[in-house]
Amino acid sequence: VSIPDTSLHSSPTPAGPFVSAADSLRRRITAQLSFNEDRFFLILAVFIGIFAGLAVVCFRITMEWARLYLLGSSLTPSSWRAFLAPSLTGLFISLLIFTIFRGAAGSGLNQTKAALYIFDGYIPLRTVIGKFITASLAIGSGHSLGPEDPSLQIGAGLASAVGTRLKLSRKKMRLLAPVGAAAGLAAAFNAPISAVLFVIEEIIGHWSAGILGAIVLAAVSSVVTMRLFLGAEPLFRIPSVGVLRWQELVAYAVMGILGGFASVVFSKAIGWLRPKMKASPAALQFFYPGFAGLLIGFIAFAGFPQVMGAGYDFMDQAMHDQYTWQILGMLAGLKILATTLSFVSGTPGGMFAPTLYVGAMLGGAVGTVEHLFFPNLTGSVGTYALVGMGVLFAGFLRAPITSVFMALEVSGDYTIILPVLVANTFSYLISRRLQSVPILEAITRQDGLSLPAMEEKREEESLNVEDAMGPQPSILLDGTKPANELWPFVSQTAEPVFLVILPHQPPAQISFGDLRHLVEAGDNRPLLKSEAVAAIPYLHPDEDLEDALPLATRYPLIPVVNRADLSQILGVLNLTAVMDAYRKTHEDFPAPY
Amino acid sequence: MNVLRRDFVVREPLLVAILVLITIVFSTATHSYSQAYDRRRNLLGQQWYANGDAELQQNRPVAAVEAFRTALLYAPRNWDYRLRLAEALTQAGHTKQALNYYQSLWQINPQNGVVNLHLARFAASAGQVADAERYFNGAIFGVWAENANDHRRESLFELVNFYLNRGDTGQAESQLIILSGNLPEDPVLHARVADLYSKVGDNQRALAQFRQAIQLDPNSFSALYGAGNAAFHLGDYRSAESYLIRAAHDDSAGPDAKTLLEVTQAASSLNPYERGLRESEKIQRVLHIFRIASARLDSCTQTSGSAGQFPPALAPLQEPWQRWKNNATSRFLTQQPDQIEPLFEFSTAIEKQSQSLCGAPTPEDSALLALANTRPSDEK
Repeated sequence: VSIPDTSLHSSPTPAGPFVSAADSLRRRITAQLSFNEDRFFLILAVFIGIFAGLAVVCFRITMEWARLYLLGSSLTPSSWRAFLAPSLTGLFISLLIFTIFRGAAGSGLNQTKAALYIFDGYIPLRTVIGKFITASLAIGSGHSLGPEDPSLQIGAGLASAVGTRLKLSRKKMRLLAPVGAAAGLAAAFNAPISAVLFVIEEIIGHWSAGILGAIVLAAVSSVVTMRLFLGAEPLFRIPSVGVLRWQELVAYAVMGILGGFASVVFSKAIGWLRPKMKASPAALQFFYPGFAGLLIGFIAFAGFPQVMGAGYDFMDQAMHDQYTWQILGMLAGLKILATTLSFVSGTPGGMFAPTLYVGAMLGGAVGTVEHLFFPNLTGSVGTYALVGMGVLFAGFLRAPITSVFMALEVSGDYTIILPVLVANTFSYLISRRLQSVPILEAITRQDGLSLPAMEEKREEESLNVEDAMGPQPSILLDGTKPANELWPFVSQTAEPVFLVILPHQPPAQISFGDLRHLVEAGDNRPLLKSEAVAAIPYLHPDEDLEDALPLATRYPLIPVVNRADLSQILGVLNLTAVMDAYRKTHEDFPAPY
Repeated sequence: MNVLRRDFVVREPLLVAILVLITIVFSTATHSYSQAYDRRRNLLGQQWYANGDAELQQNRPVAAVEAFRTALLYAPRNWDYRLRLAEALTQAGHTKQALNYYQSLWQINPQNGVVNLHLARFAASAGQVADAERYFNGAIFGVWAENANDHRRESLFELVNFYLNRGDTGQAESQLIILSGNLPEDPVLHARVADLYSKVGDNQRALAQFRQAIQLDPNSFSALYGAGNAAFHLGDYRSAESYLIRAAHDDSAGPDAKTLLEVTQAASSLNPYERGLRESEKIQRVLHIFRIASARLDSCTQTSGSAGQFPPALAPLQEPWQRWKNNATSRFLTQQPDQIEPLFEFSTAIEKQSQSLCGAPTPEDSALLALANTRPSDEK
């Protein structure tokens, strides 16, 4: 929306002959040096990033300690430990959640989103502490969950705590939660770009340029902090991608299809089981984490301890061709089962790592089978596993943009982009076709909440000015002519306002009353010289109708002009036309009465 | 000024100072916490690595693989642990996994000699010549943590053997020339190189290397035997005999050395082309050779055919043999010296054709075969 500088938004200045120069200078210095919340917000974002980074370092170490004490130091725990640790720890976690940390259950993703949209970004510190303790115990004891989503909530919670202590405005508090969330996630996954995109896609739910700078600052500072303590290496060794042959795209498409179906199975399992378990009596719910732990222990006892915990070490092995395709397929299936059990039981922990795990195993299986039948194709099994991670991310979490950038960021190799795009597209489309509501959205609805989702926004049809504008008005006044010359053309009309065409300038407007006043006063000057002609905002046909709406409420007639020639009027917009356009778009909805 | 003090001078810097203070405290606490865990991790890594080593020593590579994998859980970037895991995987028979592991190590450090050598072995066993050559060269010119020259030399030896196994003697010989040019004064190494020269058929260079080995260790049985063998194949029977006599004196000398000595001595006494030999002596030797060949033919006929009838495979020899039997006399050859050569040719032809039909040859038969093979160089 372009507004000429003629006075529409100009504010009255107190400048006057009696204001001294010293007073003016004082005001200016005060304005420069006084506490500026916007400026301080960016500084705060850096500190929040550092705090989140430190918290995630402590969280990861605590998780490792827990694993060490609960499952032993061996890579694959002994049978009795595998059997007992998740179940007994699950019961202990239940006790903590039911008695002290009531808000700590779940992954943390939806809780953070709910905090942002319902509680103005406020997350109680008790929830943060509870999430820290219970999630590290759960993952450390072998529950099939990941540390990323809790890290996200821990980051957001710390940001909320800092904002609360600093008594920031409600608006800034709402912005602070996603800043902390991005910082927490970035530190947990060691991938700042993916974290920023994920928070925008899944937490904020829409693109917001205003907060982007703070989120990026926080994500970068948290990753830098985390790397100072835990090193810069990724969570798994990244295989070399190598040169891609076009024939391999077929294999990647197959992987996308399989990943899409796996995502649907995963989503449906959680979506079906979770409400049933939540509907059961509270006394029974107390035992669910222990029961889930028992079943996971049984899976481990049966010979698949790889499904326990976040599973990054086993993803690493899958990426380096350490399993047969049968084992990889089996692990993918069992991980879906184990994660579903852990998640629906309300055990604190995230789905980020298990999603990547299932994707890596599935991708590895497809890659191994492909190598069996077409040994001359170049892609390593590791490349397939890496692409597989993105596939599940796109299909299950339904974050397609993050899924692509994650694969790029993790691999550091742009040759992977084509297979990622091919596979992710198939996975995303299949998942959308067979599971209309994304899993995070479904969980939100199960909890009785309504939170915005980016996928909804992507699907919304955006209206432009051209969809609502009417034709050029029948009467346009030539600004170079005097009022009395134009009066015969307008005197018989009922229009309250007329557009005035000015040479090489955007159109202006004059009201019927003002025009009559000029005629009665005998003003023979051209209209453009008259003070009665007022500047008005103008629009272009491609502009967003949503942005034009506030103007339409203030001006009865807004000219829509050519971008190359501002004096050329293509049509006009008024409030009635805008409302009609919106009504037409949403006419599928039933009338409220 | 009150406004200034309240809003800027006090509040914003104060808040930043407080935040910095919290950062310092939080960082210090996190540092202590992570240090404690790092110590524990390192300890566990070392323990599991030692377990893996012990398992490998007790020839339990599967358990070793598990132990090394656990060690890597605590020190994921430790190069030694990763290398050891790859070795354990190889020993456990997980060839594909081991290969992948070495490849991932190669991506991290493409100049590492150990990794290149292992990858070269994998490529060689898979028959991937280009990859094998690339990795062998990587090992030869790569970085070795200790005893770099020894490791590089061993890699070169493996490359030569790789070419020999493929039958590519030309490449093997060119690598051997490089290898022999940089050998330290070690009789064992000279003998090994000489042995490889023998295998590629370059007996001249083999003999030279054996001689160097003998110079460094005059009692080296393998060098003496090798030198005798090389000289024998070069037709230098006198030298061969002297080396083999010394080799045969060794307590560890096996039947091979003694047999070769007998053959050499026979060849030396039968050689009609020995330098300085008079015409009459030459005729006597050729006649003796014909008698040896005739005896071989006789025994062969008796064992495989009916009396007086040659076996079918030797039937073409019957007519010329009958002719030579009557003419092979000292007077005939003295009168017609141009028939010395055809008689020798016919005698060696008998030996060659009866070689696969008539059982184990006597040392004299073997000497005749050797004479037939080395004659051109001897004449030269």
